[in-house]
Amino acid sequence: MTSTLAGQAATEPLLELRGVWKVFAGVPVLRGIDFDLQRGEIHALLGGNGSGKSTTMKIISGAYSIDEGTLRLEGKVVRLDSPRSAHEQGIYMVPQEPHIFPHLSVIENLGIGLRMNPEELRSRVEPLLSDLGFDVDLDEQGAFLSIAQQQLLEITRGLLHNASVLIFDEPTSALTFREAKQLFERMRRLTAQGIGIIFISHRMGEVMEISDRISVLRDGTVVLNDLTENLSPHDLVKAMLPPDASDVKSRELSKTEIAGDRGVGDRKPVLEIANLSSEAFSNASFKLYPGEVLGLAGLVGSGRTELCEAVVGLDMHSRGSVFIGGSELRRRSPAVCRRHGLVYVPEDRHAHGIFLDLPSIYTITAGILDRLGEIFIDSTKEKDIGEGFVESLNIKLNSIWQLAGTLSGGNQQKVVLAGALATNPRVVLLDEPTRGIDASARQDVYRLIRSLTASGVGVLLISSELEEVVDLSDRVLVMHKGRIVAEFSGDELDLDRVTEASFGLAEGVAS
Amino acid sequence: MKRILRSREALVTFLLIALIGITGTFNPNFFKFDSIVEIFNASLTLVLISLGEMFVILTRGIDVSVGAIAGLSAVVLGTTLNMGWPVWAAVIAAVMTGTLAGAFNAFGITMLRVPPIIMTLGTLGIYRGLMRIITGGSWIENLPQNIKEPNLWGFLGVPFFVWVTLALLMATTFITLRARIARYFYAVGDNEEGAYLLGLPVRGTQFAAYTLAGTFAALAAVVFTSQIGFVSMNAADGFELKAIAANVLGGVSLTGGVGTPLGAAIGALFLTAVHSMLIFLGVPGIWDNAFAGMILLAVVYVDYRVRQALESQRRQARIRGEVHNPGGSS
Repeated sequence: MTSTLAGQAATEPLLELRGVWKVFAGVPVLRGIDFDLQRGEIHALLGGNGSGKSTTMKIISGAYSIDEGTLRLEGKVVRLDSPRSAHEQGIYMVPQEPHIFPHLSVIENLGIGLRMNPEELRSRVEPLLSDLGFDVDLDEQGAFLSIAQQQLLEITRGLLHNASVLIFDEPTSALTFREAKQLFERMRRLTAQGIGIIFISHRMGEVMEISDRISVLRDGTVVLNDLTENLSPHDLVKAMLPPDASDVKSRELSKTEIAGDRGVGDRKPVLEIANLSSEAFSNASFKLYPGEVLGLAGLVGSGRTELCEAVVGLDMHSRGSVFIGGSELRRRSPAVCRRHGLVYVPEDRHAHGIFLDLPSIYTITAGILDRLGEIFIDSTKEKDIGEGFVESLNIKLNSIWQLAGTLSGGNQQKVVLAGALATNPRVVLLDEPTRGIDASARQDVYRLIRSLTASGVGVLLISSELEEVVDLSDRVLVMHKGRIVAEFSGDELDLDRVTEASFGLAEGVAS
Repeated sequence: MKRILRSREALVTFLLIALIGITGTFNPNFFKFDSIVEIFNASLTLVLISLGEMFVILTRGIDVSVGAIAGLSAVVLGTTLNMGWPVWAAVIAAVMTGTLAGAFNAFGITMLRVPPIIMTLGTLGIYRGLMRIITGGSWIENLPQNIKEPNLWGFLGVPFFVWVTLALLMATTFITLRARIARYFYAVGDNEEGAYLLGLPVRGTQFAAYTLAGTFAALAAVVFTSQIGFVSMNAADGFELKAIAANVLGGVSLTGGVGTPLGAAIGALFLTAVHSMLIFLGVPGIWDNAFAGMILLAVVYVDYRVRQALESQRRQARIRGEVHNPGGSS
């Protein structure tokens, strides 16, 4: 592995994807990706949620196979059918969450899966560690390593596999500023040895700082590929947005009408958050007014979900105040919030919101059983309520007794929403309400949100699809790295600004 | 058709009838009313313990102390009777003991957050130990005649305790179908976090489940004490595992949220019937456990494959876009 520098791009690239397609259940996720990585280069890959970034990485790291197109390593076409075969070819992905065996020592963690005797392993590992500047006791237990150390352990694992391509997936998301700086230095040291690094990050500043070249993905194609020195952050944001982004500003009439006749200032907020902080976010403050959709935008991991969980009391360690209808909720739990008229519809409906093995009606009425009878359930009343929601939300099922697990994703989501609405809430927190549901169910959910606000309910909407947030919301808060960094409403609210702010480029806006 | 295939209760009932049929052809004596009644009578203890265990399993918990609770309740029943307490008072004392023992499990599991298997393993030891401490290790014999009498009562040739158990079974069935608390059992077992987020009283529900398991174990103690007329230190030993097996056999899912009292009862009846059938078929008694184990595995495996087949059918139908045409039957 001799040191070849990035300048000599005339030679065969280390890794090259040509015209790569990947289709899931008939939906193309990658539509002919072209991508290459040179020796000694840090090539950053950018893209919004759902752009095909992680699918591309899974293909390179062997987790997914290619449907069409080729993957070449140093000019040779290879087929990777498992992470193991990728390792054998010298490709190693340093995952966002390092895979550490907490009860094994560092050396055991490194040696697992390698056929090497202990002495050989140590003699290989020690120079690697000193090259990396990774100062660790090899007999320390995995559980006692910090995140940064775990990451270094993963990098060392990759080097032990003689990796010439390293993939870093959001490596800095869990690191402190200083640790991130150290990581960048180490990445530079690795590229000096001729290793090629693919760097995935949402953080524009870091990408500009560390990368040699940047590719931007959108809708499964590479829409931009240029040397970093030729690019500005605004070029990148522009590339990430759909070409017709400016048209999105032509908002729906109904919304402007509502916004027009409602002076937000002269109403009392139905939900108020003051200086709420937890491990994942800090000092969040905002007000939500009746009949308003307040969008909470931001990238995955920016702290949006954690904020909602803190509001409803799932996070025991949060600090700050939450007021519903003017009165403060001191000891918060989902049950207390419900009693005060606040419901939370979580992001992961399978884990948190639905009873899959039980009749759909059970999920719909679970929160209001106390209204259906003291000891026994009034089944006629229950049926009426359930069928009312089936009708109004357009839920497609055989009967309200059909097991929720056998419904399609969109209908499951509607069942969850019905369960939330059955309590007649004043405030609804919707976390990714349209994730993984089809287009028509999505329209139904949008209609539902509008009818909620029309009846005076305040809606806090979280979505990773920034278009959706911009389209549906009257006002949008943007979170970045655990802080609310910007607020947009009225004419200021457009996809461009929200996207920039999400990527940490909010300039001159309130923080 | 699918509905029937989907129901484990039906599968086990069908198997039970088939086994009865086979046994009957080899030994016509088996078809006699008396032998059938005898099987029912012999299964009551396990049926009652299994019904209690069902509540716990529905909430995705496990209770391995129910056999010990039954034993301890029987000791309290026997001891108080021999102290000269009237039957009704001794029965109440026994049922209270079982309920309290269950509530203690519930306390450890819901309040102190001890994992169910650990808590009940611990109390399994404690309750079995208490039996010996109370009695000094000796059996309780010479129980007054009046505790044995109910076992001799009957109506339409069916023993009193069979009627009582049937009544309890019907009551639990009605409760699981209609009562609010029962809905909570299913919800908590299906998705505990979801139930919490929906504002359901998760801990209260779990508390009730373990307490009820204790109550039912105590009721079982009353039945078997009356039936056999003495209390041994091994009373109801191993019934915790049999009760879990009965539930699994009857379709109560160990992953929570799925199952009915009828299923648990049929499972218990089945496990007891296998024992009697082997006797009628002339198979040596040493085969009992092995045979019951094999049947359990076979039933669960067949059931699993049937479900898997139905699930893949459903998925394929969905891919073809025939998503559950309402009213359609096949």
